Amino acid sequence: MTYESPSVLDAGPSDGVDPDEFLRAAMRWHFDPATGSRYWLDRAERLAFDPRQDVKGVADLSLFPDLTDELRHVPVADLIPRGYGGDARLINVFDSGGTTGAPKRVVQLDDWMRHSTEQVDRRLREHGLPLGAQWLTVAPTGPHLVGDVLQRAAAALGGPALSIDMDPRWVKKLIAAGRGDEVESYTDHLVEQCRRILLTQDVGVLAATTALLERFAREDDLLERINGSVRAILWGGTHMDPDTRHLLATEVFPDVPLIGMYGNTMMLTALLERPGLDASQPCVFDPVSPYVFLSVVDPATGERVEVGERGQVIVSHVSKSMLIPNNAERDTAVRVRPAGDHAGDAVADVAPVATVKGETVIEGVY
Amino acid sequence: MTVVTAGTVVKADGPVYLDALGPGGPYRTRVPSGVTDVSGTDVARLSLVPPVYVHRALAALRKAEAVPTAGLDTLLETAAEEFATGTVGGLGVREYEHLVSRTSGSPLTVVRTATRDTARFVGLARSSADRGRPRGAARHSGDPTLGSRHAVWARRGEVFAVNASGNHPGVHRLWLEALTLGYRVAVRPSRREPFTPHRLVGALHRAGVREDQLVLLPTDHQAAGALIRGADRAVVYGGDDVVARYAHDARVLPQGPGRTKILVTADTDWRGYLDTIVASVADEGGTACVNATAVLVEGDPAPLAEAVADRLSRLPGLPPQDARAVLPVYPLDRARALDSYLRKVAAGTRAWLGGDGIVDDLGDGSAVLRPAVHQVDHAGAPQPRAELPFPCVWIAPWTRSDGIAPLRDTLVLSLLSRDHALLATLLAEPTIANVYAGDRPTYWMAPGVPHDSYLSDFLMRSKAVVGFE
Repeated sequence: MTYESPSVLDAGPSDGVDPDEFLRAAMRWHFDPATGSRYWLDRAERLAFDPRQDVKGVADLSLFPDLTDELRHVPVADLIPRGYGGDARLINVFDSGGTTGAPKRVVQLDDWMRHSTEQVDRRLREHGLPLGAQWLTVAPTGPHLVGDVLQRAAAALGGPALSIDMDPRWVKKLIAAGRGDEVESYTDHLVEQCRRILLTQDVGVLAATTALLERFAREDDLLERINGSVRAILWGGTHMDPDTRHLLATEVFPDVPLIGMYGNTMMLTALLERPGLDASQPCVFDPVSPYVFLSVVDPATGERVEVGERGQVIVSHVSKSMLIPNNAERDTAVRVRPAGDHAGDAVADVAPVATVKGETVIEGVY
Repeated sequence: MTVVTAGTVVKADGPVYLDALGPGGPYRTRVPSGVTDVSGTDVARLSLVPPVYVHRALAALRKAEAVPTAGLDTLLETAAEEFATGTVGGLGVREYEHLVSRTSGSPLTVVRTATRDTARFVGLARSSADRGRPRGAARHSGDPTLGSRHAVWARRGEVFAVNASGNHPGVHRLWLEALTLGYRVAVRPSRREPFTPHRLVGALHRAGVREDQLVLLPTDHQAAGALIRGADRAVVYGGDDVVARYAHDARVLPQGPGRTKILVTADTDWRGYLDTIVASVADEGGTACVNATAVLVEGDPAPLAEAVADRLSRLPGLPPQDARAVLPVYPLDRARALDSYLRKVAAGTRAWLGGDGIVDDLGDGSAVLRPAVHQVDHAGAPQPRAELPFPCVWIAPWTRSDGIAPLRDTLVLSLLSRDHALLATLLAEPTIANVYAGDRPTYWMAPGVPHDSYLSDFLMRSKAVVGFE
């Protein structure tokens, strides 16, 4: 049977609900034995606090431990809140990239997919993306969230999306094994597929990973075509350092707006770059109230860093369909005040966590 | 206005910026990376360019024409003078040498000698490179001898990249030859000591080499791979891992450990050559690939080990910028790591010097690495292959029955012997790059004398040209 949820929990991204109120409703939903998922109800007893009593606002999300490692093993059916009853419409199961071991799994239900697509669509319109233009998306699909987000965004803007698929896990394996030549071959294979589309179709919006855009920079014919006809480039999926971003925006694609996208599986959506900033300013990503909250913390103490300082990015996803609090990402960013009435932090210049290597000795004088 | 004090260079106008020197001029990244001296103090800001910059720079090099040969000697002499005496990139030569010494840890006198020597190599780079040209090949298609030779010397590619090391300023003498052979050159400096290539590239630009013919591309490790893959020919410095990685890549010439050796046969009294032997081990701070790593002695090696240890034990431990310094200095952590590595490798050998540790802590976060002399009990022992970046020598007995197996894989083999048959055998051995005989230190080098064969053996080929004469 289906339980009635408080209407605030069904709010869309444009409804302007108070994030603290939304959060309290979400706690009641996810931790009520009648409506919560098996996953969260099982864990509720092990928490050192009562989410329904103690989580009064967004700031209290920090009470939760980071339990996302468990998402590597949990049966996905256990993640669906019981409150949906037989009406739960499971659209996708997404995996994280698997950089740090077995992938973590999350579920995308129909209601969340609509909210996610709506907020992406809104922000793309703020960037002035053309309506009805043909898209080319070059991003991983299948178990990966990013390709799904892009294709739904294209559809929301009335644009048919041509797409080229890629397998980032295989590329990571090749890199880890030091097989740089094979990485190059695979990238060439992707570029060749893109060339066939770009040179024969009228592509108005190009969405691709950072690595692919960098690779396009070496192809004079593609550059001419992209600068001539593409009206917006979306980049995402991996990091882009500020120097690369500036070079791509000013020298490689000087005639096309470059729009950053920051998303990951645990966020269950993508954040779009704040509009109105040029390439010499930091690339800022605002959160999405009331669903996605960011905080930037000192990884050693867990304390929030000051505005303008760099720290580790902590992401929380809160929706009717899923609760993923306090997930420590393998990203660092500069803490920025969010735009408008978004709660928590915004982030700028997202970069991978630096890995520290110990002193090792390799023989020789070099 | 610059004040040079014992420990630091203080520039009144702010930190030293080492920009990338790209095809469109100097390029500074948003957040340049720190260059630290041996005590961990920030002394400069180095702009590490991202892969997309590397690719665009390589594309610009590929489109540019070769440096013209007309007037090239004059250009090189001007650049050499500029390098040795000028103010380049805002640094006078004294400031430059101080920074090299403080960051690489090489003794200041070593750096100063290297400045003069490098200038000499720069001035003679064209004629040095030409020494590697086959007798049958004309220089270029306009050469009047082409008609009789029917062959011309031609490049195997257009763009040459160097992934350089920072152990000694002298490593930058090599790539000059590629430039004179018409290659457009991209130099990736060492992040530890980027000052020398920055100065040399700057001096060459000022002398007239165009910015799209020669670039300096500081990068992180990942973008270095893009640089090597994107060039037609590349030289890469590193350890055995680097040599193994590129062993089957015909486009890459790895420069690995030198494993330089001295062999003293029974017909020669080493006592007459002790100065040369000690110099081969310890001059240049012991940080060059042409410093001796092993001395093999026909007969009892103990007296030689004792004498070398005695000499090396007297070397003073001083900060690198001290005019009397002769030993290399490293960050303390690195020095300790090298010390414990040496302990592990040396297990089972007889320590004549350095057996109690080689770290001489200078108290400012840096440490002198003191010399080490160990004796192994047979020529085939594994230790003499351990080349370390300070005066560290393995002394081994050698007998005729050992043959030349323990002498293989050697950059410079110095032979102290009257045995001409042995000399001929060593010359014939493919894994020995250079053979010196008599009273020459192993680090002896001169313009036009091959170091690891002529670089042109790797960069050039001869093409038949018939009918144009």
